[in-house]
This record gives sequence, C-alpha cells and structure tokens, in this order.
Amino acid sequence: MARDKIYLEEEFPSPLLQLWHNFKETPVVMLGFGCFVFLTILALFSPLITPYASVENHLDFLLLPPAWHNDGNVSFLLGTDNLGRDMLSRLMHGTSLTFGLSFVVVLISLVIGVVIGSFSALTSGIKSSFLNHFLDVILSIPSLLLAIVIVAILGTGLNNTLWAIIMVLIPQFVHITRNAVTEEFRKDYVLASRLDGASSLRILYHSVFPNILEKLISQATLAQSSAILDIAALGFLGLGAQIPMAEWGAMLKNGIDLFYIAPWTVYLPGLAILFAVVATNLVGEGMRHALKVSKEA
Amino acid sequence: MNLLDIRNLSIELKSATNPILAVDRVSLTMKEGEVRGLVGESGSGKSLLAQAIVGVLDDKWQVDADRFHWRGNDLMRLSLDERKAIISKDVAMIFQEPMACLDPTMTIEEQLTEAVDCDQLSGFFWQKNQQRKENAISLLHKVGIKQHKVCLKKYPHQLNEALCQRIMIAMALAKRPILLIADEPTAAMESTNQGQIFRLLASLNQLKNMSILLISHDLENVTHWTNTITVMYSGQFVEAGTTKQIFEQPFHPYTRALIDSSPKANMSLPAKSRLMALPGSIPILQHLPIGCRLGPRCPRAQQECVIAPKVQNYHGHQFSCHFSLKGSY
Amino acid sequence: MPTLLQVSNLSKSFKLSRNWFNRKVFTALDPISFEVKAHQTLAIVGETGSGKSTLAKLLVGAELPTTGNIKLNGQTLQPGNFKQRCQHVRMIFQDSGTTLNPSLTIGQLLNEPLLLNTDLTEDARHLLIRETLQKVGLLADHMNFYPHMFSGGQKQRISLARAIILQPQVIILDEALASLDPSLRSQMINLLLDLQQQMGLAYILISHNLGIVRHFSDKIMVLSQGQVMEMGETSDILNDPKHQYTKKLIMNQRFQLLHR
Repeated sequence: MARDKIYLEEEFPSPLLQLWHNFKETPVVMLGFGCFVFLTILALFSPLITPYASVENHLDFLLLPPAWHNDGNVSFLLGTDNLGRDMLSRLMHGTSLTFGLSFVVVLISLVIGVVIGSFSALTSGIKSSFLNHFLDVILSIPSLLLAIVIVAILGTGLNNTLWAIIMVLIPQFVHITRNAVTEEFRKDYVLASRLDGASSLRILYHSVFPNILEKLISQATLAQSSAILDIAALGFLGLGAQIPMAEWGAMLKNGIDLFYIAPWTVYLPGLAILFAVVATNLVGEGMRHALKVSKEA
Repeated sequence: MNLLDIRNLSIELKSATNPILAVDRVSLTMKEGEVRGLVGESGSGKSLLAQAIVGVLDDKWQVDADRFHWRGNDLMRLSLDERKAIISKDVAMIFQEPMACLDPTMTIEEQLTEAVDCDQLSGFFWQKNQQRKENAISLLHKVGIKQHKVCLKKYPHQLNEALCQRIMIAMALAKRPILLIADEPTAAMESTNQGQIFRLLASLNQLKNMSILLISHDLENVTHWTNTITVMYSGQFVEAGTTKQIFEQPFHPYTRALIDSSPKANMSLPAKSRLMALPGSIPILQHLPIGCRLGPRCPRAQQECVIAPKVQNYHGHQFSCHFSLKGSY
Repeated sequence: MPTLLQVSNLSKSFKLSRNWFNRKVFTALDPISFEVKAHQTLAIVGETGSGKSTLAKLLVGAELPTTGNIKLNGQTLQPGNFKQRCQHVRMIFQDSGTTLNPSLTIGQLLNEPLLLNTDLTEDARHLLIRETLQKVGLLADHMNFYPHMFSGGQKQRISLARAIILQPQVIILDEALASLDPSLRSQMINLLLDLQQQMGLAYILISHNLGIVRHFSDKIMVLSQGQVMEMGETSDILNDPKHQYTKKLIMNQRFQLLHR
C-alpha cells in the first residue's frame, strides 16, 4: 500500500518520541515531571536567586518561626534556624547539594557502569564473567556501611560520601547494560550490520544504544531516588556534608535537638526530601509505564 | 440444529479518536461433527473472531452481533460472564506456538493434572489425586502419546513442538468439548509435524464427533482436512461454502487469488515464471478502505465497490461481491 | 554461464567442551562441495537440525568454516574479511521483526552499508537509495519512516533492498518467505524473479516449503543431519527421488497438496 503524504495530519514519530507521547499521557506523571524540572532549575540557579546567602548569620533573628506564625517576619519567609540563617535560602541551596549532586552521582555511575557492561557483553568467557561480577561484592554491602568505611579511611566530607554512593550504584548499571546488550546482539539486525563490515564499536553506538536507552533511563531514575536518600542519610549521620553546608540531611541533624522549640527546622528539610524523592519516583514510574505501553502497542 | 450460529458479528475497537471496525459483519455457522476452516491472511480478524466466540477479548473491544446462538441459547442477551460460563463448558481452544503456551516451570504431569475436570472425579480427596493422574494418562493416550511415562516427567522445553501441540490438545480435551477451535495450530511447525497434528484432529473429529474450527492463513493446507471453509479478508466476510465449491469454483476474486497463489495451482505453470498475485498489500487498521475492503487491490473493482456488498447465497455457497466470478462458470 | 560461486569441502564442527578433559566434537555440517551459476537458484531443503542454517552462515561469513573454502569468480573469499565478502554475498533473514533496527529510519538503515563499503558522496548515496527503494516496489517517501510502521511483507522488501543495494552477485534467502502470507509471498517471488533477470543474481534459497522450491529453483540439495542426501536438478529430484529421506519429505508435502 502506497503510504505517501496523503494523510498530512498524521505524524510518524520516532520510537523515542513515541515514548515521550506515552509518557505525557498520565497527568500525575506530568506533575511529577514538572516538579522534577522545577527542582533541576532550582538546583542550577539557586546561588543567584536565594534572598540571602545560606551561611549568613542574622544574630538578631535567631529561631524565628515561618512567616505565617504570629511571631514570624515576612523577610524570612520560612523562618530561621538557631544560628540565624534563613531557612528558605538554605533549602534552595540544599537543592543543588542534595538533588543536584544525586543527579551528578547517577550520571557518573551510569557512564562507568555502561562502559564496563558493554565490554563485558562484547567479550565472552572468563573475561566477560569477570567484568560482570567483580563489582558484585559491592552489592552485598549496604551503601551506608560502605560510606562509613570509606569515611573511616578517607575522613569525613561530602566528596568522600559521593565516592561511596557512586561505587554502590555502578554494579546495577553493569548488569543491566550487559543483559540488554547481549539480548540486542542476538537480533538479526546486529548480524546484518556486522556483515556489512561495521566494527563492534560502531554497532554498539548506532544499533544497540538507541534501543537500550529506555531501560537505562528507567534504571537511572530508580538509582537517583536512592541516591537522594543516601546523601541525605549520610548528611544526617554527620558523615557527609558538614555543618555549615546547607545540605538537607545536615539541616535535619542540626534541627533535631531543637525539635520541640522550633519544629520548622526539622519538618521543612524533611518535606523537601520527600518532595524530591516523590518527584523522581513519579518520573521513573511514568518512564517504565511508557515503556510497557509502547512494547504492547 | 446448528451448533454455533453467528450472524453479522462486528468487533469494534473503542478509541478516543475514531472507532475502528476490526471485524465487520461476519457470519459463521457450525454444525455438529463438522470441520470448518476459517481462512484469512494476517489482519483479517480471524483470531479476533475466535477470541470473541470464546469470550477472552479485553475491554477495549466491543462485540456486537445480530445473532449469536450456541446450541439454541441466545448468548447476546446474557452478560459477558454468563456467556463465558456457557461457552467455556463446551468450547476449547488451542493456539499457535504450543511451547510458549505451556508453563515452562511445571512438568507436563503437573499441568495435565491441573487441566483435568474436577466434576468428573468422584470419591474422597485422597482418591481424587490418583484419579487425576489416571485421567491425565488416558488423555495422553487419546492424543496418541503411548509412552506416557517418558513424557510426563519432562518440562516443555525438552519436548519438540509437535509433541507440545499434542499435549495442548490433550489439555483441551480434558473438558470433553463439543467444539475445538484451533487457532493456526501448525504455523510454527515443519511439514512432517503438521501432517501429524492434522491427522490427529481428523481422527478426533471422526471418533468423537467433535466439531473443529480450524483457523489458518494457508488455504492450500486446509482444503485437505475440512468439510467447509469460510474466507475472510481484512475483517470482512468474503466467501463460505463446502471445500469442493470453494476450491473448484471460487466466486470471489480474493478467493481466486488465494487459490492461484498456492503451490498446487502453480504446478501447471512453467518453472520460474511469474505467479498470479494481487497487487498492493493488506490495509492496516488505521486506514481501512470504505465499502468492500478489497476494493483498492481488486482487479474487478468498479464504482459500486465503495458500498459494502451484501451476502448472496447460491446453493449453500455464500459470497459477498458485486462483481463475482459466478457468471464465468 | 560462468560459475559464480564454488564451494569445496566446506564443513563445520563445534567443540562442546563441557569439561576440559572430555572434548566432544559436534559436526554440524559434513564436507560438501557445490557450484552455483549466475541467473540460477539453488534450493537447500531439510528439516531443522539438518545444517542448512549453518551452511547459510558459513556462506555469508557469519561463521568460520572448519575446513574447505569458498571461491567467488575464481577468487577465494577470506573468512572473517567482511568488507570483501559483503559486496558480493548478501543475506535476507527469516524473522522480519528483528531484522531491521527499530530506532533508525529506512534511509539511515540503507545508508549504513553504503557508508561502510563505498566512497560515494552523500547525494550519490541518496540517489542510490531512492532507486533501490523503487526497484523493490516502495516509495522514495518511505525513506523517512521507521520500521514499526511497515507490515511484514514490506519489511521483507526493505531487507531485500538492503541486500541488493551493494549490487551483490549472490543472495542467500534464509527462510525469508516462510513467514509471509500466501499473497505477499507470490508478490515477493515475482519481485525476486524480476531482479534475478535484471541483475544476473544467483540465489541460494533455504526453505522447507517444497511448493516454492519447485517453482523457484533450478537445482536442489537435500540435507539431513549435516549430510547431503541428494543433489541435482529440481525437476529430476522432485519427480524421481532416489533417497529414502527425500521420498519421505515429498510424500509429506504431496499428501497435503492432494485434493480429495
């Protein structure tokens, strides 16, 4: 049947665009996606838009409640903490630390995991098994424990905990990449490419990666929500971000002693963490749902 | 009395933009002890029709018919659940790719004993287990597997396709159905195995007087084993009649084209010459032609073909075409 | 007509080394030799496990032979050298669903073999792709479509376009017609016959459908368990089979072809 441009109103999207259309269908997912984008913009631009610097002390206004309380002050919209630092600015700055760094962490572990997984899939036999499984030992150690170990060796600080979280996330990506690539290699079009004379790298880049991208992205969103929780938890334990930094977990740690007199110092960072994790999970769910729908269609 | 009497069945895909009529007013009748072939290429809606009869379509399909009688009971007036309850007692179905239809984690014995009908067992519950096993063995014998001991302990992936299909037929026979619907049972098999399965179905038909609705896309294959044939194209009814009528005197141009593309017709053609083929390809669901859906491809199509033709009957040979080949015989 | 493809003593055995002490050797294909001329079609018939897919893979270069060699126009084809081979020997696969990369448009798909093996400029490539698509009966507009928009028959035509775009001399059809509907199959056969006339191709058809084989092929080779049972002209073998296995195959298919 001749399919030329008689039906102008129909679009013929590429598979990735089709995925995007399926993704857009569910309103709740789009809401989560909107929040995700909002958080990303906040993370990128927070130093420019915060009303005060996050470490600036206002000694006249210690432990001010949020502006909707009777004692609150509208110039400190969400109140201040026990050192007079504005909560709103600290929360916004914390976005770039907790949320933004989780993004970076997932990106780095994704790249490393995909590279190792691809090499594992391209080779066979003992080399392949070795590459696939040598990082599995990390899977057996919970991320917090690993972070404590690394901190004990290298000392406390946000950088060191980031290394711990990156290492914990890599094995998942290695396994997923290796399985997806091996499955794609069994298909006929890869054989056809190889027979055309394409090198393995070219096959990987052109034929295989566009088709496994969706699986990688859905795994990345899962990893990101766990990364956010890990960074916050380590900050709360005092192993990650140290006191002056505005990381949400560290803010929680700061406020927990003052919970009865100044509850907003605790619930505000907690709500922020909840918001970020829910947004990430909604995006991840939407992505997996869109994948499932597009496979069925 | 007709076993199954369906008149003008339509299956519509409910979608937000515009509803699509995947099956457009198809009629089908089956008598007791009859083997009917339902022939159509991909996209003809034959599998949808079979699934609509058995009642396993999802909510997104809407089934409508002027008449849908099963052994005299009018099923259109009942709800979907009641319809399914009546039909599932007497109708069984087997599918393509039998190895994929069997549970890969259970042995054949476990699956067969699960399929055995509880109503036919009697006695206390410890006796039922033994009876289930005996029933399973007798089912295997009915489909011609004599060495049941070897077969029962294996998993589906250890057996070949023909054997798996026989086991599927055995499971279908467990309920003693009156009608067996076989949805392309041999599509994935080679010719020797195909012959085995067809011979089994023919013997079941003769020995137990079981009616069979044999769905296939290959007219050639089916003519040897069936009494009557119904042909469908792109969801529409094309032709129906006895196998002899259809094969020797096809009235509809599509049936003629199907017969011309089969190897037997080509035995008379010189080797490596062009085959007779209809131009174009099967329309997809989103772009179905109006009226007779063969219109764009039909060599005899004219202006009137934008209106769907009515079904005409000539000595039991039904066809729906404005410009049929009846006059040329 | 000159001999195009000459195969001598080709065989393939696999080593099943479950444990390092007991290496069993599984012979997928015993040594065979045959020739194919231009404008000719050789059909290879056999049940699963007979070695016909192994033979196809050996001919196209996807596997390395254990013994023997393949000569094209007198030149030996080196195993493992894809660039040399792919210009002359191409293959069409059975499963049209996985034979096309789902995330590339047809234009990009057909561009790839040209990029890797020829020095044509972009315009020349574009023109060649358009011509090839027209030869197989598709439109030039189809270059921007993705594989999931096509039906099974059209996907096989795209496979065929990918095979002929490098102007090869031998095309191997690995059960390419088995999954098509009968009317589409006839169209495809007509197309293949036309192309064979126009381009002087030699086909190696692997199939188990004797009806197509009878119509389409000049010579036939019957394989069973890796060994050649019979080889010769199609009409001779199908009318007067000598080997037991061939007789059984024909009986099974004829049995279904006879109308009662």
